[in-house]
Amino acid sequence: MDKKEEPAIFPKNPNKTYGLMELTKTKSFQIEKGPDNTVTSWPHLFFRELILFMGVFIALMTISLLFNAPLEQEANPSNTPNPAKAPWYFLGLQEMLSWAHPFWGGIFAPTVVVIILMLTPYFDRSQKGVGVWFAPERKIANLLFTIFLVLAVGLIVVGEFFRGPNWQIFWPWNMPSPH
Amino acid sequence: MKKNRLLDLFTNNRFYKSIFRHGYPDDDIKRSEVVTGNLLLHIQPVKVHKNTIRAGYTLGLGLIAFYLFIILTATGILLMFYYIPSIERAYNDMKDLEFAVSFGIILRNLHRWGAHGMVAFVFLHMCRVFFTGGYKPPREFNWGIGVVLLIITLFLSLTGYLLPWDQLAFWAITIVANLIGTSPPESIMGANLRQLVLGGTIVGQNALIRFYVMHVVVLPLVAAALIGVHFWRIRKDGGISRPAEE
Ligand code: HEM
Repeated sequence: MDKKEEPAIFPKNPNKTYGLMELTKTKSFQIEKGPDNTVTSWPHLFFRELILFMGVFIALMTISLLFNAPLEQEANPSNTPNPAKAPWYFLGLQEMLSWAHPFWGGIFAPTVVVIILMLTPYFDRSQKGVGVWFAPERKIANLLFTIFLVLAVGLIVVGEFFRGPNWQIFWPWNMPSPH
Repeated sequence: MKKNRLLDLFTNNRFYKSIFRHGYPDDDIKRSEVVTGNLLLHIQPVKVHKNTIRAGYTLGLGLIAFYLFIILTATGILLMFYYIPSIERAYNDMKDLEFAVSFGIILRNLHRWGAHGMVAFVFLHMCRVFFTGGYKPPREFNWGIGVVLLIITLFLSLTGYLLPWDQLAFWAITIVANLIGTSPPESIMGANLRQLVLGGTIVGQNALIRFYVMHVVVLPLVAAALIGVHFWRIRKDGGISRPAEE
């Protein structure tokens, strides 16, 4: 059944800049509460979400039409490529493997990083600067995190572009071809 | 508000209303019914703070990660129709996707690039949350869920990496397996962990089926469940973080 339009009990008066919007059942006064700065999810949020989805899909489809996913020779346990590399997101770990006993770079370091990440919000509890990009009140936290980022990304870049046969350092433009 | 005749024709009829249970959302009550009356949308609030929809705040990074997860699920299911996790067939199935299956190569490309993208965007999303202080109380726990989601995303990507059964796949997983083998004490912990992951001592059929099952069943289910908790916690924590109001 259709919902009938409720007759307007409080008709809008065009001469007033305020009006009675609705009656609410609440236990407190709603006056002098200040603007709540919200918008309805429909349409403000949902249209943005829809557009973002279309953007993501179009971008991914474009990339997929332009570039093919790599597929090398069939797996061959007796033919070891030199160097053999892990996927890029693990290359930072692989890079650290070459420094000391693999346990330190490959297991110990990532475990420590995960534990520190998990515990951070339990130690860094001040509400100063929440909701603001690079808040000046959070200089130290932001600096520490930036160092972590530079290290993590830097190691990946070294592993991906600067390591050649026998895990030796090469310039990317001098990189000997593998095998 | 002036009624739009065309909109009215589509939305003000029994059929439309039997599905959406409200007419075109032109007042706040109906706008709220869009959310509360819809299974997919009702995980979201009826109203959001203006800061939440500010593109420059979240940069949409978490949502992009989520969308990629959805696209990966859809393309992954389609790929399962063509891929058989056997060391005799897997590589040929990849070749068939490239040369025999209509649009097979595009399907594979979407899945492969989408996966790389998801790792990247989950990471970028974490950076956004950190640099805006979005992990501070009361959002500590959701940050922790996020860290677990990052790890699961990495494992999803890694387990998928073996499936094409080419040289890239085989040797990348061999490296990771050897790495797992170094967990101390090596002779007990490391060796056994490696055995558990590979189902043997080398990367072979047992490893392939283990990685496959993790990749198509276990990890996606865990990821989906945790994403559910992640989103639910965003609401319980009072929505996306925002600057204190004067
Ligand atoms: C599969 C991976 C993930 C998905 C799909 C996901 C999705 C989302 C979405 C859609 C939001 C809403 C705001 C936004 O879009 O930025 C969000 C918020 C949040 N995410 Fe994630 N996320 C993921 C991983 C992570 C990771 C790795 C972390 C941190 C280590 C994290 C921590 C948070 C926190 C703390 C919030 C609330 C932020 C705020 O209130 O400002 N999430 N997530």
